[in-house]
Amino acid sequence: MTEAHGAKPAEEAPKELPAAFFGQFLAENGINSKRHADHSGAVECIELAAKDLLPAIKLMRTSADTQLNYLITISGVEQANHFESVYHFWSYNNLKELVVKVIVEKSDVPEGQLPVVPSIANFWPAANWHERETYDLVGIRYEGHPYLRRLLNPWDWDGHPLRRDYKQPVDSLNDKNPHSMR
Amino acid sequence: MSTELNTLIETTSPELKTQEMIINMGPQHPATHGVLRLIVTLDGEIVKHVEPVLGHLHRAQEWQGQNRTWFQYQALIDRVDYLSGMYTSWALSRSAETIEGTVVPKRAEYLRVILSEMNRITSHLLWLGTYLIDLGAMFGFPFYPFREREKLFDLFEAVAGQRMMFNYIRIGGVVRNPPFGWFAKLETFLDEFPARIDEYEAIVTENPIFLKRTKGVGYLSPEVAMSYGMSGPCVRASGINLDLRKTKPYSIYPELDFKVPVMTEGDTWARYMCRIAEMRECVNIIRQCIKQIPGGTTEELRKGLGTTGPEKDDSKDLPPEHMIMAKKQNAGLRVKAGEGFAAVESPRGTIGCYVVSNGSDKAYRFRWRNPSFCNLSAISELLVGSPIADVMAIFGSIDVILPDVDR
Repeated sequence: MTEAHGAKPAEEAPKELPAAFFGQFLAENGINSKRHADHSGAVECIELAAKDLLPAIKLMRTSADTQLNYLITISGVEQANHFESVYHFWSYNNLKELVVKVIVEKSDVPEGQLPVVPSIANFWPAANWHERETYDLVGIRYEGHPYLRRLLNPWDWDGHPLRRDYKQPVDSLNDKNPHSMR
Repeated sequence: MSTELNTLIETTSPELKTQEMIINMGPQHPATHGVLRLIVTLDGEIVKHVEPVLGHLHRAQEWQGQNRTWFQYQALIDRVDYLSGMYTSWALSRSAETIEGTVVPKRAEYLRVILSEMNRITSHLLWLGTYLIDLGAMFGFPFYPFREREKLFDLFEAVAGQRMMFNYIRIGGVVRNPPFGWFAKLETFLDEFPARIDEYEAIVTENPIFLKRTKGVGYLSPEVAMSYGMSGPCVRASGINLDLRKTKPYSIYPELDFKVPVMTEGDTWARYMCRIAEMRECVNIIRQCIKQIPGGTTEELRKGLGTTGPEKDDSKDLPPEHMIMAKKQNAGLRVKAGEGFAAVESPRGTIGCYVVSNGSDKAYRFRWRNPSFCNLSAISELLVGSPIADVMAIFGSIDVILPDVDR
């Protein structure tokens, strides 16, 4: 059932878009980004390479031009061929907003391991719980997170429930199972 | 504890224990208003470290959104934040509407604002009543705010059919017009409500015990609030002027004249005062909406149509701004492919919904941004250094709803 409606996700436009405000700002500071199709409401959406994520965010959070100092949420999305870690940034001081995506291709993830994205939690405390939750539910490992444990599911849970291939453990709801920790 | 004191105790009475103590609060603590477990490390009376353990109420709301149709999921999301269901519905509707590019009829927007500002009042009233219990005011104060809350619930029931899980705001508009006489009842309530707020304030605001428990307790600095992504009355009490109704105006809020109360103290008492002032502003907003709503009251709307029957809500004879639905819904509701995030200002802060849609009748990915979740993540900053007796006073003052945290 999950395969059937997960087969055709929304793909980004194939043609290259010119850099908008934040793309230009980052380019001026020597960081490359790739612009994606705008989110609804004409919100700029850029893709960053994993190694550029932390310097770019540090820059945009503190720079007087951007002041993206309000981290709304971090979401993990599993698309057909890749994993996305999606960051929504707003500002407490102005009306600017930005969506940042870090993409990990499924073909780059070794068998039996989780996709890896650098953590921003040490630099930005708001990211701490969002990253833990995304690790828990979507199974993206945030490298460098100070305390990457499951947040919503029990600590000994198996699998990542928002994956398309997730199967619920048979005994997960069985209180009578003497071996269950739950 | 200081080292001299430690050595003194160890030399004089070696059988006395001086190491830190770990105690467990919850998950079923009466003051958590839900199920939250705090593992607290204490040094004597002082909190040294807090680890919140979440997830006791995890109902996989995001998973359910991906595995139910849009039409089915609309009915579920009031349970995300059960005290302010209007706002969760509104966040979902707005995110779907921004993807679709729907223009919501004016009358529907006004009804949304009226009903959700009423919801803000009920949410703050419940917080006020239970917060006083958390502080130990066991003399029956909660009956005062709950009296007014019941009146508003009767009005909700008349228009939405339910008292808490409304399912009233739908993608594209609202589900029905209020019944005859509803606006008059609401105005009666608005006339008497400011005097009732004075009554609560007479009991609480100048109460010396309340002041002792809250003044200067649980100070939240603006820097900490911003770095943890907090929102709502918590940050407005710390001097950050963040209210989406003003800073990122949506719906018809630009047409209304209202103030956003901002305090600078940043303590528990300021958070209380912010909520009281917000309730007064809600009355002001609802009054303006009743005056400005296109089509007027339901009686006037029907009179203009030349009918008094109740069934003409989606009549083609109505001018577009008097409709309440942009497009009539059915069970095969679809949202076109695209991604979008939309947020509204709930009683607890920025509640938002990130949707990835692939054009089918189910969403490809749902992601909730919950104000309680983000506000709660700063709990260790607030609690560390305060005495154990203040833990519940501080925790209660950030107004966390646990189903909103765990989803």
